[in-house]
Amino acid sequence: MDRILEVNDLHVHYFSNRKTVLAINNLSLSMDRGRVLGLVGETGAGKTTLALSILNMIRAPQGKIVSGTIKFNSIDIFKMSKHELHDLRGKDISMIFQDPMTALNPVLTVGDQIAETVFKHEKVSKAEAWEKAEAMLETVGIPQVRAREYPHQFSGGMKQRVVIALALACNPKLLLADEPTTALDVTIQAQVLDLMRHLIKNHNTSVLFITHSLGLVAENCDEVATMYAGEIVEYGTIDQVYGNTFHPYTKGLFGSLPDYSEGSNRLKPIPGLMPDPTNLPKGCYFSPRCPYVMPVCKEEHPQDSIIDGHLVKCHLYRRNNDESKNR
Amino acid sequence: MTKQKASQNPFFTSLSRFLKRQYKNTAQFWRQFSRNKLAVVSLILVLLFALIALFADWLYPYDFVTSNSLNNALLKPGEKGVVSYHDKEFEHLFILGSDNYGRDILGRLVHGARVSMIIGFATVAMALSVGGVLGAIAGYKGGLFDTLIMRLTDIVLSIPTILMSIAIVAALGNSFFNLLIAISTSMIPGYIRIVRASIISIKDQEFVEAARCIGARDMRIVLKHILPNITSPVIVQSTLNVGSSILWASALSFLGLGILPPKPEWGNMLSEAREFIQYAPHLLFAPGLAILLTVLAYNLIGDGLRDALDPKLKR
Repeated sequence: MDRILEVNDLHVHYFSNRKTVLAINNLSLSMDRGRVLGLVGETGAGKTTLALSILNMIRAPQGKIVSGTIKFNSIDIFKMSKHELHDLRGKDISMIFQDPMTALNPVLTVGDQIAETVFKHEKVSKAEAWEKAEAMLETVGIPQVRAREYPHQFSGGMKQRVVIALALACNPKLLLADEPTTALDVTIQAQVLDLMRHLIKNHNTSVLFITHSLGLVAENCDEVATMYAGEIVEYGTIDQVYGNTFHPYTKGLFGSLPDYSEGSNRLKPIPGLMPDPTNLPKGCYFSPRCPYVMPVCKEEHPQDSIIDGHLVKCHLYRRNNDESKNR
Repeated sequence: MTKQKASQNPFFTSLSRFLKRQYKNTAQFWRQFSRNKLAVVSLILVLLFALIALFADWLYPYDFVTSNSLNNALLKPGEKGVVSYHDKEFEHLFILGSDNYGRDILGRLVHGARVSMIIGFATVAMALSVGGVLGAIAGYKGGLFDTLIMRLTDIVLSIPTILMSIAIVAALGNSFFNLLIAISTSMIPGYIRIVRASIISIKDQEFVEAARCIGARDMRIVLKHILPNITSPVIVQSTLNVGSSILWASALSFLGLGILPPKPEWGNMLSEAREFIQYAPHLLFAPGLAILLTVLAYNLIGDGLRDALDPKLKR
């Protein structure tokens, strides 16, 4: 299978009054065409920053891509000219934003906003772009006549569908879905996900599915990556990660889900907080909260260990330590 | 061949669609605007004043309203007087009376409307185009340019406006165009600040990021996504300013730096009439009321425009 996206040794920092926020640290990731990769992690783990880096949209004065490369279809995104980037965004890679309430322009009709994208990227007349926009709305289950309405006339779920229509208007090759259902209630969530699944299947789109919800990942994704403090700590197929969880943090995430079969009605949170991204711990970033912490964890940053294509960044699994595999 | 198929030509179909849509938008806009009765009345009033200004020469010849006839001085409204005009003597009805030089007040008001209307529009247009562009760049780009522009703005704002207008007119010389420059210069900082502040508050919202994300360029983002969001404060500011710039022109005329008598202008009429407030108060009321009505009408139109242009208020 061919690689659609390849992120190598990415470092993204945000600079504010003398402090440097290490948002993404030495992150490598790759995606194959037509696959859905789930990206899970706590708030502040750098998930959105990663998505914005893929579009090369890190805000200039504060944020900076310090090093690393991102290749889309083997073309380096950071070496693209401004012009090429404008053509890339929205056409080849598009993004669904987290909050549908703010992702739409309140003073433009939803039809206008979709038609703008189509007009920008496809060689069509304005009228044709408008028709495409109406058709796009229809695919996401919004009647065509409502194309002339403004975002405030839609409910949250409908707005999210408009945002999806906007993102999929030009049949992107890669879709960055940044928590597309976080702001929605469960019934609408199911509808929206169903719709996305359908559209993705029809267009053979690859998706980076960013979410907090492990359940959604299990349902929708082929692969899953766990992110912690700006790095990927575990990566594998759904079966690998869900069936045989390696990293203590991912285990902690699973442990945080309520388990009704055990009859317990208390959640088991991971103790502690995410490390301060301006002052990351010396060794493994998860070591202060890790139940399996070893002396080496405080001293040395763990390297990637790959066991049958299942990647984990933890000292417990260093050099295929078979005896620690089942801990 | 092609001429026969003109109706199926994609250019014509898209053009006709565009016109239809444009018509629909205009119709919708008018429906919204006409809901505000006060605004409609004000619009009619302003249009009426504009028409009067346009046809001022037909209503009252210019040299008639600028020439003295001292035997008709200080007539009460509705009184008649004999005037000699171009070596002909005839009886003339002074509908609003006459001033201390025997000039027809209504005639001077009509010609003053011409000056005031132009001043109101031209100064705001000048200030808005300069201030709007500078403010938009400063707000959207930020950085050194922003700092530079804002400090300059602060400097300009720290000079008392009337003093600056006086300085500009004194430096450039007393003429109508220089009066426009003097007034609009002192309004520019207001536009820079309003546009900059509005743009800063809008540009970090997610939909702007979303627009960048679909590949829109800066120019397009500013013009299509940000500008429509900041129209309401700008419109309110502009219509308020039309009123105040008329007042300013009057104030400068009062100081002898604007439109000087015998040229008719509402402000200099007002300042000339001050001396006769006890004997002939109508001399003050006429231009005062004209200024009041115009300023009020512009403000009400501004309110109506703001409501009609804001899609969130549509029902």
